[in-house]
Amino acid sequence: MSKKKTKVKVELQRRDFLTVAGVALGSAAVAQFVTTGPLSPFSQFQQSQLEGGAQTGHGAATGNYHWGMIINLDKCIGCEYCLRGCCANNDVNPDKPWNIVVEEKTSTGQTFYFSRPCLHCQNAPCIEVCPVGATYHRDDGLVMMDYDRCIGCRYCQVACPYDARRFNWKEYTEPNPYVPTYGTPQVERRPRGVVEKCTFCVQRIDLALESGKMPGEDPEATPACVGICPVGARVFGNLKDHDSLIYHMLEENPTIRLNEELGAEPSVYYIPPKEGL
Amino acid sequence: MATATPTVERKSPKISPGYLVWLLLIGVLITIGLISAVQVFVKGLDITNMYDTVPWGLWITIDLSAIALGAGAFTLSAIVYLFGLKKFTPIIRLAILVGFIGYTSALLTLVMDIGRPDRFWHPWVYWNVHSVLWEITWCITIYLTIMLLEFLPVITEHKFFDRIPWTREVAHVLHKAAPALALLGLGISLLHQSSLGATYGIVKSRPIWFKPSMPIVFILSAVAVGPAMTMTIAIIIEWVTGKRRISHDILRTIAKFSAFVLLIYGYIKIWDLAATTYYGRLPSVTEAWATLRMNTPYNFAFWVGEIIIGIAIPVIFFLVPRFNRNPAFLVMGGLCAMAGIVINRWDVTVSGLFVPLAFSPGTQYKLPAGRYFPNLIEIGVALGIIGYALALLTLGVKYLPIIGEPEHKS
Repeated sequence: MSKKKTKVKVELQRRDFLTVAGVALGSAAVAQFVTTGPLSPFSQFQQSQLEGGAQTGHGAATGNYHWGMIINLDKCIGCEYCLRGCCANNDVNPDKPWNIVVEEKTSTGQTFYFSRPCLHCQNAPCIEVCPVGATYHRDDGLVMMDYDRCIGCRYCQVACPYDARRFNWKEYTEPNPYVPTYGTPQVERRPRGVVEKCTFCVQRIDLALESGKMPGEDPEATPACVGICPVGARVFGNLKDHDSLIYHMLEENPTIRLNEELGAEPSVYYIPPKEGL
Repeated sequence: MATATPTVERKSPKISPGYLVWLLLIGVLITIGLISAVQVFVKGLDITNMYDTVPWGLWITIDLSAIALGAGAFTLSAIVYLFGLKKFTPIIRLAILVGFIGYTSALLTLVMDIGRPDRFWHPWVYWNVHSVLWEITWCITIYLTIMLLEFLPVITEHKFFDRIPWTREVAHVLHKAAPALALLGLGISLLHQSSLGATYGIVKSRPIWFKPSMPIVFILSAVAVGPAMTMTIAIIIEWVTGKRRISHDILRTIAKFSAFVLLIYGYIKIWDLAATTYYGRLPSVTEAWATLRMNTPYNFAFWVGEIIIGIAIPVIFFLVPRFNRNPAFLVMGGLCAMAGIVINRWDVTVSGLFVPLAFSPGTQYKLPAGRYFPNLIEIGVALGIIGYALALLTLGVKYLPIIGEPEHKS
C-alpha cells in the first residue's frame, strides 16, 4: 500500500518536473521570439536604424524613386499660382483646395507665405487608419487614393496631422474658375462621398516616366504647382537620386519638416526664411 | 407557473390605449427617421452640419453609445456561462436582445454616416489589418452573428415553429453551444469595445485624444453601463407588463456590479485628467484644453454630465441600500448612467475635433476652432434609430419568451 503510494508520488513528481521544465523552455522560447522576432515592438526600430531609414526618411519608398518636394519659404511671394494651377490641372474646387497658401509671420514679426500640398508622409497616419485600404503607398513613396474603394468614413481626414484631406460633402458641379487660364483638367472630378487630396500630380509623373522624361526636370512631368511657380520656390524630384537637384538642395540648405515630432516622415521639406522662423 | 405562462402571452387580442399610444410614438419616430434618411441618401452628407473641420458628429456618437450600451450582452453572458453564476440566467435573453438592438442600431447609423453607403461591404472584402476601424467592423460583424446564434433558440420557441420540428433541434444544439459562444463573444467584445476607444487614442495628430487610457476608459464604461441598461429595461418591462419575472435580488446585484465598475471607470478618468492636465502640461494639450474652455461648455459637460450624472448619482443609487431597495431609484440610476455614457462619447468625439490642428511653421496662421451642433436632419435620423430600437424591443418583449427562465424545452 505504502509502496504504491510512493510510486505514484514519484511519477507525479517527474511529471511535475517535466511540466515545469516544458513551461520554462516554452516561455523562454516565446520571450526570445517576442523580444527579437518580427512581433517585437523593437523590430521595426532596429531595422530602420540599421538601414539609416530614420535619417533619409525613405520609409515606404522601396523602389528606385522617392518623390519629394522642397518649398522655399524665403522665395515664396504668396501669389497663389500653385493653388490655381493645382485646382485647374486636378479639377479641384477652389473653395476646398488641395494646396493651401496663407500669409504667415515669423516669431520676429516678419511676413512670409506658407503653402502646403499633401506632404506624402512615409509613415502616413491616414494610411494606417483607413479601414479598406483605399489610401496606400506606392513604391515611389506617393500616398495614393483609390476613389473607387473609399467608403467615405473620413477617419483619414481625422487622422491627418496636416489637414491635407478634403471630403466631398457634395458633388462639385460648378465650372472651375481657373480653367483654362491656369491649365486644363487632366483627371476626372471625384464623386460625392469620397475623400480626396493632393497626389503630387501622379498623372504627370506616370505619363512622363512612360515616355522617358524625368519628373523634376521636365515641366510636363512635374507637379503643376512646381512648374507654374513664377519665382521657383518649389523644387520637385527624386530624393533617392544623389545627382538630382532636390538632393543637392537638401544637402546645401537648412530645411525643416512640419511637426517632425509626430514621426510621420513627410516627403516635403521647407527652407525657412532667411531671417529665421 | 411554467405551464400557465405561454397562454398568458396571447390572452388579449385587444390593444390597450396605452399600447396604442406607444405604437403611435414608435411609428412617428420611424417615419421621421425614414424621411431624414431618404434626404441624406438623395442629397448627400452636405445637408448635415458636419464639415471638413468636424467630419464626425452626432451619428458617430450614436454608434459608440449604442455599442457601449449593448455591452450587457457579453458581460452577462460571460457571468453566466463562463463564471458559472447561474442565478443570472433569467436576464440573459433580454441582455442579448438589447445587445443585438444596440449593435444593429450602430450599423444602421454607420451606413447613414459613410459617404458611400453603397460600399458598406468594402471592409469585408478589402482588408487593412492595420486599421482599428477595420478590426472594429469585423468584430462587430462576428459578434452580431454570435448574438444571432445565441438568440435563435429564443425565436424558435415561438408557437409558429411548432410546425417545423427541425428548427427545435438546431436550437437545442445552439443552446448546448452557449458557453462556447459566450467565450468567443467575450473575446471579440473585449477587442472591439476597447478598439472603439483606440480609434481616438491612437490618433497622434490630436493632442487630447492621443493617450493610452482611451481604450480602457471605453471598455470600462461599456462593461459598467451595458448591464445597468439591461437591468433598467427589465424593471421598466416589469412595470409595463405588470409581471415580475426576474427577481429584484438579481437586478440589485447587477446594479451593484455596475456601480463598482463605474467607480473604477471614474478612478481612471480622474487619474487621466490629472496626468494630462495637472502633471503633464504638454504645451499642445494645455493649449487644446484652453481652446475648449474658451469656446465650448466642455468643463460643464465633463464634470456635470460625465462625472456627476454619469458616475456619482448612479453609484449612490446602486450602492446605498436605502435607494437600491426601490426599483424606481435603480431605473433613475440606470438612466443617469446611460446619459453619462452618451455624453462621454459625445465629448470625446467633438472635443478632439474642435481643437484646430497646428502645423504651420509660423506664428499667426491657425485653423479656426471647430463648431458643430447637429441639425434637424441629423437629429431626425437619430430619432428614427431610437424608434427602430424601441420597435425591436417591443416586438421582442411582446412575442418572444425574452424574460425569465426558459419556459419549455424541446
